[in-house]
Amino acid sequence: MAKKALLITPELCIGCRACQVACKSWNQLPAEKTQNKGSYENPGDLTPTLYNKIRFVEVPSEKDPIRWLFVSQRCMHCEDAGCMKICPSPGALYKTKDGIVSFNQDKCIGCKLCIAGCPFDIPRYNQKNKISKCNFCEDRVANNQPPACAKTCPTGSITYGDRDALIANAQKVGYQKLYGQMDLGGLGVLYAFKDAPKLYGLNENPRIPESIVFWNNVLKPLSYIGLGGVVAASILHYLVIGPHKEEEV
Amino acid sequence: MSEMVRKASTFEILNHWVLAISCILLAISGYGFLFKIEGIAAVFGGANMMKDIHNYLGIVFSVSLFLSIFNWLKDALTFDADDIKWIACAGGYLSKHPKIPPMGKLNTGQKFYYIALLVFGTAIAVSGFIIWLLPGNKTYVLWSHLIHNISFVVLMIAVPVHIYLATIANPGTFRIMIYGTVPYKWAAKRHPKWIQELSHGK
Repeated sequence: MAKKALLITPELCIGCRACQVACKSWNQLPAEKTQNKGSYENPGDLTPTLYNKIRFVEVPSEKDPIRWLFVSQRCMHCEDAGCMKICPSPGALYKTKDGIVSFNQDKCIGCKLCIAGCPFDIPRYNQKNKISKCNFCEDRVANNQPPACAKTCPTGSITYGDRDALIANAQKVGYQKLYGQMDLGGLGVLYAFKDAPKLYGLNENPRIPESIVFWNNVLKPLSYIGLGGVVAASILHYLVIGPHKEEEV
Repeated sequence: MSEMVRKASTFEILNHWVLAISCILLAISGYGFLFKIEGIAAVFGGANMMKDIHNYLGIVFSVSLFLSIFNWLKDALTFDADDIKWIACAGGYLSKHPKIPPMGKLNTGQKFYYIALLVFGTAIAVSGFIIWLLPGNKTYVLWSHLIHNISFVVLMIAVPVHIYLATIANPGTFRIMIYGTVPYKWAAKRHPKWIQELSHGK
Protein backbone atom coordinates (compact mmCIF):
# COMPACT_ATOMS: atom_id res chain seq x y z
CA MET A 1 0.00 0.00 0.00
CA ALA A 2 1.17 3.50 -0.77
CA LYS A 3 2.51 5.69 1.96
CA LYS A 4 -0.18 7.99 3.34
CA ALA A 5 0.40 11.59 4.34
CA LEU A 6 -1.18 14.81 5.53
CA LEU A 7 -0.63 18.02 3.63
CA ILE A 8 -0.83 21.14 5.80
CA THR A 9 -1.43 24.50 4.12
CA PRO A 10 -1.13 27.12 6.89
CA GLU A 11 -2.50 29.95 4.74
CA LEU A 12 -5.83 28.12 4.50
CA CYS A 13 -6.10 27.64 8.26
CA ILE A 14 -8.52 29.90 10.13
CA GLY A 15 -7.37 28.75 13.56
CA CYS A 16 -10.70 27.22 14.55
CA ARG A 17 -8.97 24.27 16.23
CA ALA A 18 -11.69 21.85 15.19
CA CYS A 19 -8.79 19.48 14.43
CA GLN A 20 -7.75 19.55 18.10
CA VAL A 21 -11.30 18.79 19.20
CA ALA A 22 -11.80 16.06 16.59
CA CYS A 23 -8.53 14.42 17.63
CA LYS A 24 -9.52 14.37 21.29
CA SER A 25 -12.97 13.09 20.39
CA TRP A 26 -11.79 10.22 18.19
CA ASN A 27 -8.88 9.20 20.40
CA GLN A 28 -10.91 9.61 23.62
CA LEU A 29 -8.46 12.04 25.16
CA PRO A 30 -9.71 14.10 28.11
CA ALA A 31 -9.69 17.89 28.14
CA GLU A 32 -7.14 19.70 30.27
CA LYS A 33 -7.04 22.95 32.15
CA THR A 34 -4.99 25.48 30.25
CA GLN A 35 -3.51 28.86 30.99
CA ASN A 36 -3.89 32.09 29.11
CA LYS A 37 -0.40 33.05 28.04
CA GLY A 38 -1.47 36.12 26.15
CA SER A 39 -1.73 34.28 22.85
CA TYR A 40 -4.47 32.54 20.88
CA GLU A 41 -2.35 29.40 21.10
CA ASN A 42 -4.17 27.09 23.46
CA PRO A 43 -3.02 24.78 24.98
CA GLY A 44 0.49 26.15 24.78
CA ASP A 45 2.22 22.84 24.13
CA LEU A 46 1.52 19.23 23.20
CA THR A 47 0.70 17.03 26.18
CA PRO A 48 0.09 13.30 26.69
CA THR A 49 -3.59 13.96 25.94
CA LEU A 50 -3.06 16.55 23.20
CA TYR A 51 -1.74 14.90 20.04
CA ASN A 52 -2.11 17.90 17.74
CA LYS A 53 -2.43 21.63 18.09
CA ILE A 54 -2.40 24.83 16.12
CA ARG A 55 0.72 26.88 16.62
CA PHE A 56 -0.16 30.56 16.48
CA VAL A 57 2.51 32.86 15.06
CA GLU A 58 2.14 36.62 14.77
CA VAL A 59 4.34 38.19 12.10
CA PRO A 60 3.59 41.91 12.05
CA SER A 61 5.32 44.09 9.47
CA GLU A 62 4.77 47.59 8.11
CA LYS A 63 3.28 46.26 4.92
CA ASP A 64 1.14 43.69 6.66
CA PRO A 65 0.53 44.76 10.26
CA ILE A 66 -1.76 41.82 11.00
CA ARG A 67 -0.21 38.66 9.64
CA TRP A 68 -1.26 35.59 11.58
CA LEU A 69 0.08 32.13 10.80
CA PHE A 70 -1.74 29.03 12.03
CA VAL A 71 0.43 25.95 11.83
CA SER A 72 -1.02 22.54 12.55
CA GLN A 73 1.51 20.59 14.59
CA ARG A 74 1.82 16.88 15.43
CA CYS A 75 4.12 13.88 15.07
CA MET A 76 5.68 14.07 11.60
CA HIS A 77 5.71 10.29 11.02
CA CYS A 78 9.26 10.35 9.62
CA GLU A 79 10.25 7.64 7.16
CA ASP A 80 13.63 7.52 8.96
CA ALA A 81 12.33 8.00 12.50
CA GLY A 82 14.83 8.90 15.25
CA CYS A 83 12.44 7.71 17.97
CA MET A 84 12.19 4.24 16.43
CA LYS A 85 15.97 4.05 15.95
CA ILE A 86 16.82 4.73 19.57
CA CYS A 87 13.85 2.93 21.21
CA PRO A 88 15.23 -0.18 23.01
CA SER A 89 11.94 -2.01 23.52
CA PRO A 90 10.74 -4.48 20.87
CA GLY A 91 7.38 -3.41 19.48
CA ALA A 92 6.95 -0.23 21.54
CA LEU A 93 7.22 1.96 18.43
CA TYR A 94 6.39 0.46 15.07
CA LYS A 95 5.67 1.45 11.52
CA THR A 96 2.46 0.44 9.75
CA LYS A 97 2.22 -0.45 6.07
CA ASP A 98 0.83 3.05 5.47
CA GLY A 99 4.05 4.61 6.81
CA ILE A 100 2.57 5.59 10.18
CA VAL A 101 4.88 5.67 13.22
CA SER A 102 2.61 4.23 15.90
CA PHE A 103 3.12 3.03 19.47
CA ASN A 104 2.09 0.27 21.85
CA GLN A 105 1.96 1.52 25.45
CA ASP A 106 2.04 -2.04 26.82
CA LYS A 107 5.49 -2.51 25.32
CA CYS A 108 6.83 0.95 26.21
CA ILE A 109 9.34 0.69 29.08
CA GLY A 110 9.26 4.38 29.95
CA CYS A 111 12.96 5.06 29.29
CA LYS A 112 12.21 8.28 27.38
CA LEU A 113 15.05 7.72 24.88
CA CYS A 114 12.59 8.58 22.08
CA ILE A 115 12.45 12.14 23.43
CA ALA A 116 16.19 12.40 22.78
CA GLY A 117 15.81 10.84 19.33
CA CYS A 118 12.99 13.06 18.01
CA PRO A 119 14.02 16.08 15.92
CA PHE A 120 10.59 17.71 16.44
CA ASP A 121 10.12 17.44 20.24
CA ILE A 122 6.96 15.34 19.87
CA PRO A 123 6.88 12.35 22.28
CA ARG A 124 5.15 12.98 25.60
CA TYR A 125 4.80 10.63 28.57
CA ASN A 126 1.56 10.07 30.46
CA GLN A 127 1.14 9.57 34.20
CA LYS A 128 1.88 5.87 33.84
CA ASN A 129 5.20 6.84 32.23
CA LYS A 130 4.20 5.54 28.79
CA ILE A 131 4.74 7.23 25.44
CA SER A 132 1.82 9.21 24.06
CA LYS A 133 1.72 10.98 20.71
CA CYS A 134 -0.19 11.28 17.44
CA ASN A 135 -0.70 7.86 15.86
CA PHE A 136 -2.16 9.28 12.64
CA CYS A 137 -5.49 7.73 13.66
CA GLU A 138 -3.96 4.40 12.69
CA ASP A 139 -7.29 2.63 13.24
CA ARG A 140 -9.17 5.00 10.91
CA VAL A 141 -6.50 4.82 8.22
CA ALA A 142 -6.54 1.02 8.37
CA ASN A 143 -10.26 1.29 7.49
CA ASN A 144 -9.69 3.72 4.63
CA GLN A 145 -10.83 6.72 6.65
CA PRO A 146 -8.86 9.97 6.92
CA PRO A 147 -7.43 10.88 10.34
CA ALA A 148 -9.94 12.78 12.51
CA CYS A 149 -8.11 16.12 12.11
CA ALA A 150 -8.18 15.95 8.30
CA LYS A 151 -11.75 14.70 8.25
CA THR A 152 -12.99 17.64 10.30
CA CYS A 153 -10.89 20.49 8.86
CA PRO A 154 -13.45 22.87 7.32
CA THR A 155 -11.08 24.82 5.06
CA GLY A 156 -8.91 22.12 3.49
CA SER A 157 -5.88 23.28 5.44
CA ILE A 158 -5.30 19.65 6.47
CA THR A 159 -5.75 17.23 3.60
CA TYR A 160 -5.11 13.51 3.64
CA GLY A 161 -4.24 11.07 0.89
CA ASP A 162 -1.54 9.05 -0.84
CA ARG A 163 1.71 10.85 -0.24
CA ASP A 164 2.74 10.91 -3.91
CA ALA A 165 -0.65 12.25 -5.00
CA LEU A 166 -0.56 15.02 -2.37
CA ILE A 167 2.88 16.10 -3.59
CA ALA A 168 1.79 16.05 -7.24
CA ASN A 169 -1.32 18.10 -6.46
CA ALA A 170 0.65 20.66 -4.45
CA GLN A 171 3.08 21.05 -7.34
CA LYS A 172 0.19 21.70 -9.69
CA VAL A 173 -0.96 24.64 -7.59
CA GLY A 174 2.53 26.11 -7.43
CA TYR A 175 4.33 24.63 -4.40
CA GLN A 176 7.55 23.43 -6.02
CA LYS A 177 9.02 21.96 -2.85
CA LEU A 178 7.08 20.97 0.22
CA TYR A 179 8.51 20.98 3.70
CA GLY A 180 9.15 17.37 4.63
CA GLN A 181 9.24 16.12 1.07
CA MET A 182 12.86 14.94 1.35
CA ASP A 183 13.68 15.45 5.04
CA LEU A 184 14.35 12.36 7.19
CA GLY A 185 13.64 10.03 4.32
CA GLY A 186 10.34 11.81 3.70
CA LEU A 187 7.92 12.99 6.36
CA GLY A 188 4.37 11.71 6.65
CA VAL A 189 3.26 15.28 7.33
CA LEU A 190 4.00 17.73 4.51
CA TYR A 191 3.79 21.51 4.71
CA ALA A 192 3.05 23.93 1.89
CA PHE A 193 4.92 26.99 3.14
CA LYS A 194 4.99 30.35 1.38
CA ASP A 195 7.86 31.55 3.53
CA ALA A 196 10.89 30.20 5.37
CA PRO A 197 10.02 27.19 7.59
CA LYS A 198 11.55 29.03 10.54
CA LEU A 199 8.79 31.62 10.38
CA TYR A 200 6.28 28.84 10.92
CA GLY A 201 8.25 27.47 13.86
CA LEU A 202 9.99 24.56 12.12
CA ASN A 203 13.67 23.76 11.57
CA GLU A 204 15.05 24.36 8.10
CA ASN A 205 16.94 21.04 8.20
CA PRO A 206 15.44 18.63 10.72
CA ARG A 207 17.86 15.81 11.45
CA ILE A 208 18.27 12.88 13.79
CA PRO A 209 21.00 13.77 16.33
CA GLU A 210 24.39 12.83 14.88
CA SER A 211 25.36 10.75 17.89
CA ILE A 212 22.34 8.48 17.24
CA VAL A 213 23.26 8.10 13.57
CA PHE A 214 26.86 7.23 14.54
CA TRP A 215 25.62 4.80 17.18
CA ASN A 216 23.23 3.15 14.75
CA ASN A 217 25.62 2.88 11.81
CA VAL A 218 28.93 2.22 13.59
CA LEU A 219 28.62 1.23 17.25
CA LYS A 220 25.76 -1.24 16.84
CA PRO A 221 27.55 -3.37 14.24
CA LEU A 222 30.85 -3.00 16.13
CA SER A 223 29.25 -4.43 19.26
CA TYR A 224 28.86 -7.85 17.65
CA ILE A 225 31.74 -7.67 15.17
CA GLY A 226 34.07 -6.96 18.11
CA LEU A 227 32.66 -9.72 20.29
CA GLY A 228 32.58 -12.22 17.42
CA GLY A 229 36.07 -11.16 16.36
CA VAL A 230 37.71 -11.76 19.72
CA VAL A 231 35.88 -15.04 20.26
CA ALA A 232 37.07 -16.21 16.81
CA ALA A 233 40.58 -14.91 17.53
CA SER A 234 40.62 -16.77 20.86
CA ILE A 235 39.62 -20.05 19.21
CA LEU A 236 42.23 -19.51 16.50
CA HIS A 237 44.89 -18.72 19.10
CA TYR A 238 44.00 -21.83 21.07
CA LEU A 239 44.27 -24.01 17.97
CA VAL A 240 47.37 -22.44 16.42
CA ILE A 241 49.52 -21.48 19.41
CA GLY A 242 47.77 -23.26 22.20
CA PRO A 243 47.56 -22.65 25.91
CA HIS A 244 50.50 -21.48 27.97
CA LYS A 245 51.26 -24.53 30.09
CA GLU A 246 53.81 -25.01 32.81
CA GLU A 247 55.13 -28.45 31.89
CA GLU A 248 57.25 -28.91 34.99
CA VAL A 249 54.58 -28.01 37.55
CA MET B 1 50.77 -32.25 46.22
CA SER B 2 52.77 -29.13 46.33
CA GLU B 3 52.93 -26.09 48.52
CA MET B 4 50.20 -23.51 47.84
CA VAL B 5 50.32 -19.75 48.01
CA ARG B 6 47.30 -17.49 48.39
CA LYS B 7 46.82 -15.05 45.50
CA ALA B 8 43.27 -13.86 46.19
CA SER B 9 41.42 -13.27 49.47
CA THR B 10 37.90 -14.59 50.03
CA PHE B 11 36.62 -11.04 49.63
CA GLU B 12 38.41 -10.70 46.29
CA ILE B 13 36.98 -14.00 45.07
CA LEU B 14 33.42 -13.11 46.08
CA ASN B 15 33.64 -9.61 44.67
CA HIS B 16 35.04 -10.90 41.40
CA TRP B 17 32.11 -13.32 41.05
CA VAL B 18 29.62 -10.52 41.74
CA LEU B 19 31.34 -8.32 39.17
CA ALA B 20 31.53 -11.12 36.60
CA ILE B 21 27.94 -12.30 36.91
CA SER B 22 26.45 -8.80 36.96
CA CYS B 23 28.62 -7.87 33.97
CA ILE B 24 27.49 -10.86 31.93
CA LEU B 25 23.79 -10.38 32.75
CA LEU B 26 24.07 -6.66 31.98
CA ALA B 27 25.73 -7.50 28.67
CA ILE B 28 23.05 -10.02 27.67
CA SER B 29 20.19 -7.67 28.54
CA GLY B 30 22.20 -4.89 26.89
CA TYR B 31 22.25 -6.83 23.62
CA GLY B 32 18.52 -7.40 24.11
CA PHE B 33 17.93 -3.64 24.20
CA LEU B 34 20.48 -2.79 21.52
CA PHE B 35 18.89 -5.05 18.91
CA LYS B 36 15.34 -5.16 20.38
CA ILE B 37 15.51 -8.95 20.70
CA GLU B 38 12.14 -10.34 21.88
CA GLY B 39 13.68 -13.67 22.91
CA ILE B 40 16.15 -12.09 25.33
CA ALA B 41 13.45 -9.81 26.75
CA ALA B 42 11.26 -12.90 27.30
CA VAL B 43 14.04 -14.63 29.26
CA PHE B 44 14.23 -11.62 31.57
CA GLY B 45 10.45 -11.56 32.01
CA GLY B 46 9.56 -9.00 29.33
CA ALA B 47 11.08 -5.69 28.29
CA ASN B 48 9.74 -3.81 31.32
CA MET B 49 11.22 -6.31 33.75
CA MET B 50 14.47 -6.44 31.75
CA LYS B 51 14.78 -2.67 32.15
CA ASP B 52 14.43 -2.93 35.95
CA ILE B 53 16.86 -5.85 36.14
CA HIS B 54 19.35 -4.02 33.92
CA ASN B 55 19.09 -0.83 36.01
CA TYR B 56 19.39 -2.46 39.44
CA LEU B 57 22.16 -4.81 38.30
CA GLY B 58 23.91 -1.61 37.27
CA ILE B 59 24.01 -0.67 40.95
CA VAL B 60 25.44 -4.10 41.85
CA PHE B 61 28.05 -3.79 39.09
CA SER B 62 28.99 -0.26 40.18
CA VAL B 63 29.41 -1.14 43.84
CA SER B 64 31.42 -4.22 42.93
CA LEU B 65 33.60 -2.22 40.55
CA PHE B 66 34.20 0.37 43.25
CA LEU B 67 35.18 -2.29 45.78
CA SER B 68 37.58 -3.85 43.27
CA ILE B 69 39.67 -0.70 43.45
CA PHE B 70 40.90 -1.84 46.86
CA ASN B 71 41.78 -5.24 45.43
CA TRP B 72 43.69 -4.44 42.29
CA LEU B 73 44.28 -0.76 41.56
CA LYS B 74 47.58 -0.43 43.44
CA ASP B 75 49.14 -3.40 41.66
CA ALA B 76 47.67 -2.30 38.33
CA LEU B 77 49.32 1.10 38.54
CA THR B 78 52.78 -0.20 39.40
CA PHE B 79 54.91 -0.37 36.25
CA ASP B 80 58.62 -1.02 35.67
CA ALA B 81 61.01 -1.88 32.82
CA ASP B 82 59.80 -5.49 32.71
CA ASP B 83 56.37 -4.27 31.68
CA ILE B 84 57.87 -2.72 28.55
CA LYS B 85 59.61 -6.03 27.77
CA TRP B 86 56.30 -7.81 28.34
CA ILE B 87 54.63 -5.57 25.78
CA ALA B 88 57.56 -6.08 23.37
CA CYS B 89 57.05 -9.85 23.45
CA ALA B 90 53.23 -9.51 23.50
CA GLY B 91 53.10 -11.36 26.79
CA GLY B 92 54.54 -14.43 25.09
CA TYR B 93 51.13 -15.24 23.68
CA LEU B 94 52.36 -15.32 20.08
CA SER B 95 54.90 -18.07 20.69
CA LYS B 96 54.61 -21.70 21.70
CA HIS B 97 57.71 -21.53 23.90
CA PRO B 98 57.71 -17.97 25.15
CA LYS B 99 60.36 -16.22 27.20
CA ILE B 100 58.46 -13.83 29.42
CA PRO B 101 60.11 -11.16 31.58
CA PRO B 102 59.61 -11.61 35.33
CA MET B 103 56.24 -10.31 36.53
CA GLY B 104 54.84 -9.09 39.83
CA LYS B 105 51.48 -10.12 41.26
CA LEU B 106 49.78 -8.92 38.07
CA ASN B 107 51.31 -9.22 34.63
CA THR B 108 51.27 -6.23 32.27
CA GLY B 109 48.24 -7.44 30.37
CA GLN B 110 46.28 -7.89 33.58
CA LYS B 111 47.25 -4.36 34.64
CA PHE B 112 46.06 -2.87 31.35
CA TYR B 113 42.91 -4.93 31.49
CA TYR B 114 42.09 -3.72 34.98
CA ILE B 115 42.74 -0.07 34.10
CA ALA B 116 40.54 -0.40 31.01
CA LEU B 117 37.83 -2.09 33.06
CA LEU B 118 37.96 0.68 35.64
CA VAL B 119 37.84 3.47 33.03
CA PHE B 120 35.16 2.01 30.75
CA GLY B 121 33.31 0.34 33.62
CA THR B 122 33.02 3.72 35.36
CA ALA B 123 32.00 5.36 32.08
CA ILE B 124 29.30 2.77 31.36
CA ALA B 125 28.03 2.97 34.95
CA VAL B 126 27.86 6.76 35.20
CA SER B 127 26.31 7.15 31.74
CA GLY B 128 23.84 4.39 32.58
CA PHE B 129 22.72 6.16 35.74
CA ILE B 130 22.24 9.40 33.80
CA ILE B 131 20.04 7.62 31.20
CA TRP B 132 18.12 6.01 34.04
CA LEU B 133 17.75 8.95 36.39
CA LEU B 134 17.63 11.99 34.08
CA PRO B 135 15.24 10.75 31.38
CA GLY B 136 14.06 13.31 28.88
CA ASN B 137 17.07 15.57 29.40
CA LYS B 138 18.09 15.54 25.75
CA THR B 139 21.68 16.80 26.03
CA TYR B 140 22.69 14.62 28.98
CA VAL B 141 20.88 11.56 27.63
CA LEU B 142 22.39 11.81 24.13
CA TRP B 143 25.94 12.14 25.50
CA SER B 144 25.36 9.34 27.98
CA HIS B 145 23.82 7.10 25.33
CA LEU B 146 26.92 7.58 23.18
CA ILE B 147 29.36 6.98 26.05
CA HIS B 148 27.34 3.98 27.30
CA ASN B 149 27.54 2.34 23.87
CA ILE B 150 31.20 3.15 23.18
CA SER B 151 32.08 1.62 26.57
CA PHE B 152 29.91 -1.37 25.75
CA VAL B 153 31.77 -2.00 22.49
CA VAL B 154 35.14 -1.78 24.30
CA LEU B 155 34.03 -4.06 27.13
CA MET B 156 32.54 -6.60 24.73
CA ILE B 157 36.02 -6.90 23.21
CA ALA B 158 38.04 -6.75 26.44
CA VAL B 159 35.94 -9.04 28.66
CA PRO B 160 35.93 -12.11 26.36
CA VAL B 161 39.72 -11.78 25.95
CA HIS B 162 40.04 -11.65 29.74
CA ILE B 163 37.83 -14.73 30.14
CA TYR B 164 39.80 -16.67 27.51
CA LEU B 165 43.20 -15.75 28.96
CA ALA B 166 42.12 -16.49 32.53
CA THR B 167 40.70 -19.91 31.71
CA ILE B 168 41.75 -22.26 28.92
CA ALA B 169 44.59 -20.12 27.58
CA ASN B 170 46.44 -20.25 30.89
CA PRO B 171 45.72 -23.51 32.69
CA GLY B 172 46.04 -23.10 36.43
CA THR B 173 44.68 -19.56 36.48
CA PHE B 174 40.96 -20.19 36.86
CA ARG B 175 41.40 -21.98 40.20
CA ILE B 176 42.21 -18.58 41.73
CA MET B 177 38.55 -17.63 41.20
CA ILE B 178 37.51 -20.70 43.21
CA TYR B 179 40.19 -21.38 45.80
CA GLY B 180 42.23 -18.19 45.74
CA THR B 181 45.40 -20.24 45.91
CA VAL B 182 47.96 -21.36 43.33
CA PRO B 183 50.84 -23.83 43.53
CA TYR B 184 54.00 -22.16 44.78
CA LYS B 185 56.01 -23.43 41.80
CA TRP B 186 53.44 -22.08 39.34
CA ALA B 187 53.50 -18.70 41.06
CA ALA B 188 57.28 -18.63 41.17
CA LYS B 189 57.33 -19.09 37.41
CA ARG B 190 54.46 -16.78 36.50
CA HIS B 191 54.85 -14.08 39.12
CA PRO B 192 58.45 -14.35 40.37
CA LYS B 193 58.69 -10.77 41.61
CA TRP B 194 55.55 -11.23 43.68
CA ILE B 195 56.94 -14.40 45.25
CA GLN B 196 60.17 -12.52 45.95
CA GLU B 197 58.22 -9.79 47.70
CA LEU B 198 56.36 -12.37 49.74
CA SER B 199 59.51 -14.12 50.87
CA HIS B 200 61.21 -10.79 51.69
CA GLY B 201 58.19 -9.88 53.72
CA LYS B 202 58.53 -13.03 55.79
